[in-house]
Amino acid sequence: MPSFVRHLLLIVAPLIAAFAILPGVYDNHLLLFNFVIFLILAQGVNIIYGFTGYLPFGYVGFFGAGAYGFAIMVMHFQTPAPLAVLVAGVVGVLLGLLLTPLLRLSGAYFAIANLAAALAVLHFVANPALESITKGPYGVALNGTFNPTLAYVGAVIILALTLGIVVFLRNSSFGMALQAVREDAVSAAMAGVNVVKMRVIAWLASALVAGLAGGVFAWYVSVFYPDNVFSNDFSIFAIVFALFGGVATIMGPIVGVLILYGVYNLIGFTTPQYFQLIYGVLIMALVLFLPAGLVSLATRRGWNVP
Amino acid sequence: MSPDAKPILTVNGLVKRFGGFHALDGLSFHVSSGEILGLVGPNGSGKTTAINVISGLYAPDDGTLTYDGASIGGLASHKLVHRGINRTFQIPKPFLSLTVRQNVEVALAYGRVGVAPPKLSDLLEQYHLAEFADRPAADLNSSQQKMLDLVRALATRPRLLLLDELAAGLNPTELDWIAGHIKALAQSGLAIIVVEHLMGFIEQITDRVIVMNAGKEIFEGTLAVAVKVPQVIEVFLGGEHGA
Amino acid sequence: MLAYPLIAGVLFGLYFSLLGIGLNLVFGVMRIVNLAHGDFLMLGAFVAFGVFYLLGLDPLLAVPLAFVLFVIVGIVLYGLLVPRLQQSRDPEMLSIILFFGLSQVIEALVTIAFGTSERSIPSRELGSLMTAAAKALGAKPEGGPVDILGQSFPAAWVISAVVSVIAIGLVYVYLYRTRLGTLTRAVMSRRDEAFATGINVDRVCAAAFGIGLGLAAIAGVFAPFMFGSVTPAFGADATVTAFVIVVLGSLGNPLGTALGGVVYGICYMLVQTFLSSWADLLPYVLLILVLLLRPSGLLGRKVRVA
Repeated sequence: MPSFVRHLLLIVAPLIAAFAILPGVYDNHLLLFNFVIFLILAQGVNIIYGFTGYLPFGYVGFFGAGAYGFAIMVMHFQTPAPLAVLVAGVVGVLLGLLLTPLLRLSGAYFAIANLAAALAVLHFVANPALESITKGPYGVALNGTFNPTLAYVGAVIILALTLGIVVFLRNSSFGMALQAVREDAVSAAMAGVNVVKMRVIAWLASALVAGLAGGVFAWYVSVFYPDNVFSNDFSIFAIVFALFGGVATIMGPIVGVLILYGVYNLIGFTTPQYFQLIYGVLIMALVLFLPAGLVSLATRRGWNVP
Repeated sequence: MSPDAKPILTVNGLVKRFGGFHALDGLSFHVSSGEILGLVGPNGSGKTTAINVISGLYAPDDGTLTYDGASIGGLASHKLVHRGINRTFQIPKPFLSLTVRQNVEVALAYGRVGVAPPKLSDLLEQYHLAEFADRPAADLNSSQQKMLDLVRALATRPRLLLLDELAAGLNPTELDWIAGHIKALAQSGLAIIVVEHLMGFIEQITDRVIVMNAGKEIFEGTLAVAVKVPQVIEVFLGGEHGA
Repeated sequence: MLAYPLIAGVLFGLYFSLLGIGLNLVFGVMRIVNLAHGDFLMLGAFVAFGVFYLLGLDPLLAVPLAFVLFVIVGIVLYGLLVPRLQQSRDPEMLSIILFFGLSQVIEALVTIAFGTSERSIPSRELGSLMTAAAKALGAKPEGGPVDILGQSFPAAWVISAVVSVIAIGLVYVYLYRTRLGTLTRAVMSRRDEAFATGINVDRVCAAAFGIGLGLAAIAGVFAPFMFGSVTPAFGADATVTAFVIVVLGSLGNPLGTALGGVVYGICYMLVQTFLSSWADLLPYVLLILVLLLRPSGLLGRKVRVA
């Protein structure tokens, strides 16, 4: 059995099935929905950071842009929700295209510029001068499309798409070439790889899934403020989840989200500053003691982690 | 194949500047299929810059590069690879986290199109990498990394191969062994340009050498003749005023 | 009409230079992105609060105290975090995440200790010692606003600017006139070669890290006066602002940061005056534009392109 079929059958299918069934047996649908969103975002980070080495420190920019793409379509054009989610994906890709020049930057410069870009989009959207279009800082309320059940289904479909992309990267020469570019762009070019094109494709794929996730998030919550959907916690959590599990694998980000987001919800929200403290310590410990993620515990023993 | 055949690569008046420094200052030479050409000269004479310009790492500032009848100056590296030009690096940078096999697979998948690729297992076998095939490239020592770099280049099926200091750091047995491989590659029809400091190695494998100084050629012919030319001797003994 | 924003811009700009210079030193020397830079500013502000509210002294006295305190904190933190970080595969990227974790820890601890309220110090208290001394010597104490070219500015702005100039001057002296500073510049330009030549890179880096945090803390002492008030959450925005300033100038060049700060300060004041609703966007857009158009900064030569 080819490995990508195996990965689809043994990893993607069970995960999607579980999230399809769980709402029937577990009542906290919002929590399930958030799990799905973070799985999408962590895998989106995996696509760009794991396979190309660019750390998208302002990844939430695509998510927020997607959410507002959805909201604007619904508010001003009365677009049906599923179509508006697709538009959200397109908005993500367009923002990705706009930011393509950032890929010329390397290392920390890219990460910081990406963060600045996300903040710029936030301040743009939240500007009172654009109230007639975005409702500025006052937030949007989309009562007409409110349908959490359908929105959840949409999110699971987007998760399946995202996992499909990662399975492809993990099992194709395209994904291998991306990793080659990450390791050394000059050598990769001399292996015949079109370095710029590869990076842009990965960047846009990553922007697409975040835009879609933002759209479906807007659909689900239906009332939100710029600060909600552009909260850089989304970027940080997605990065930390992906890193905790281990990037450039299919399993790593999944394990990372299930464990860390699970822990997050066990600790609970009651005292945010204690929560922040524990989280900060956890992040630092992760970088210092397990920089290559949980999967490195297995790969160090010579086991191949899909 | 005869070295007298029509050149596969003709370099004419090549200029490359870095700021005010002329790394290449009107370099001209040619190389034919089946021929091994040595590029020699003191440090800073522009040998590696020449390789870097021919392989598309830098765009030339002036002059022409004609490969296979077409002008290739300023084309991106991967496009040159697709046309059959490849190279090795003085300090190879393999894809460290990928396995040796995957390193080569990338080149096999993205290399020159329209030609049946060589067999991966044969390549690894020939260059003594088969036993490391499934280990990460980071586990290789530096001469094994050089061999992997060469295999990566060969996997793209080049017609013109540029070797930058491939022999540096190899022991005498390895030198003989790699010299045999390079000659065999030339006999199979590749044009090969070798940049090297080891004169014995140059003498052993090249058909012809270009002696470079200050970014241009000052001699063309066999090494045996070159070492008798006063201008060449002066350059190698430290006459830095030849520009 | 233009004189006021221009002069205010220069005053703020000199202060902004101080705000960025510690970050520049740390990144330039260690390739570490100190995402907790702004949090050390915030801590410096809390030192000023302590000196004023607990001891009842001139907040200006917090400057030497904060500096010494945070040089020590910096050297200890360096030993705890950095050598371990440098062993990982991608220290530059992971430093972003590590120091993000640290910033979370700092923010949480300060919130737990002091709550989330906004704190400030009356502007006239800064430099009260000097005023009192002047009075004791029989001079006519200035107090109140200061006149520059017919425009009047709060004395606190002028004091901040003057202290900033002195601090930057001392950094310059350190880098160009002391042995450790010369070694620091050597490490900045060629880390691997500095190792090879037997420089005790760890000692140089620990000193640079300590001084970097010390400078951030000094900038923090003035933050309540320049920004009106400070909360424990102040750090994140301050970090981004510091990045803009460092990038505007150039890496590893204290004079570059001074120029970057002044350019930023003037832009900031001009936008505040003439386009206030878009002022929030300025730092982010400026950062992206500079990175893309002049990636080496205004005075820089280093290349940072992928």
